[in-house]
Amino acid sequence: MTTGEPAATAPRAPEALGGSGGTRSAPPVNQFDPETTQALKHLLLATADDEFVIGYWDSEWTGIAPVLEEDVAFASLAQDEIGHAQALYQLLANLEGRGDPDTIAYGRPPEGYRHARLLDHPRTDWAFSVARRFLYDTADAARLDALAGSSYEPLAGVVAKMRREERYHLLHMHAWVERLATGGEEPRARLAAALERLWPDALCVLDGIDGDGVLAEAGVLAEPMAAIRRRWLAGLAPELARLGLPAPPAAPTGACRGPGRSDDFRWLWEQLTMVRRSDPEAVW
Amino acid sequence: MQVYEVFRREREGGPMQHAGNLLAPDAELARHYAREFYGRRQESVRLWIVPRSAILDLDDPDLLQPPFDRSFKKPAGYSTEIKAKLAAARARAGEGEVR
Repeated sequence: MTTGEPAATAPRAPEALGGSGGTRSAPPVNQFDPETTQALKHLLLATADDEFVIGYWDSEWTGIAPVLEEDVAFASLAQDEIGHAQALYQLLANLEGRGDPDTIAYGRPPEGYRHARLLDHPRTDWAFSVARRFLYDTADAARLDALAGSSYEPLAGVVAKMRREERYHLLHMHAWVERLATGGEEPRARLAAALERLWPDALCVLDGIDGDGVLAEAGVLAEPMAAIRRRWLAGLAPELARLGLPAPPAAPTGACRGPGRSDDFRWLWEQLTMVRRSDPEAVW
Repeated sequence: MQVYEVFRREREGGPMQHAGNLLAPDAELARHYAREFYGRRQESVRLWIVPRSAILDLDDPDLLQPPFDRSFKKPAGYSTEIKAKLAAARARAGEGEVR
């Protein structure tokens, strides 16, 4: 993966390659106690995994989206998410003082991922992928709002850039939900069915972060996940009501972020790690 | 679906130049797709997205390709000649180059 971030484009030391727990010269730098640091690492990993996995699922539409223009647009959104994941994995690597984005992204078994179970579903049909991305992007926007003023400055810096790109994601997904909801009987029925199915899992995007209360106290997050979730749902309610679309259930139930994973995610994991597993020591 | 023609400005101060076209069902998605096609790699600072139906088309050869020699309507010939004569006159008068 490539990025404009100096830390990520700098040549990697040979010992940092290959996922064998290589070391870096710079020691981990942060201002937090061990409990907060642990929660911050979990937040970074979970958020990065969300971006990474939805990026891979939605890139599945490349070549088969409803029209050529949308093919390009949806693949571009997916690529943005992979870029965001890379920036967040880099923050995590810096915090850990070892590893690199590729090793974190591709060097774990399926049980090691911490994405929300919303992203355990396959791409299914177009309305399903639109519904999922709409739920994900709007939830992600609420999460980014809560991180924009983060006391962990490296994170606040990455989030400021992410929010600029996510503006377009939101515009595009609101446009698509509007069109499917008002575009005749079948698109509307498919969209509504997808939302019904996805809602319980969508709530997990803003849940399942161990220590989010501690992070809120330390100012890493503006408020705990439950409060971010309420803000997200309150913001969506008028649009859902206006379009007559299904409303969310009261609260998430069950494990939100693994370690148990669907067969669909395991299939995706096989796909996305295939090249790396064929030669973990290879250098591009 | 209708065709939209897209024009882009590569950098501040540059001209708007035709970039290409796209198909979109409405103006809102036309803007999104124009951004994807001609702006997502930071290659543009401004886009104009125009429904092809709004473009006035002119390709009449009687108006655009008149049959007689029109070289005298092209400014290149006499303007450089005049400039050269002026420069020569200034040189003779001992003045510097035209600014």
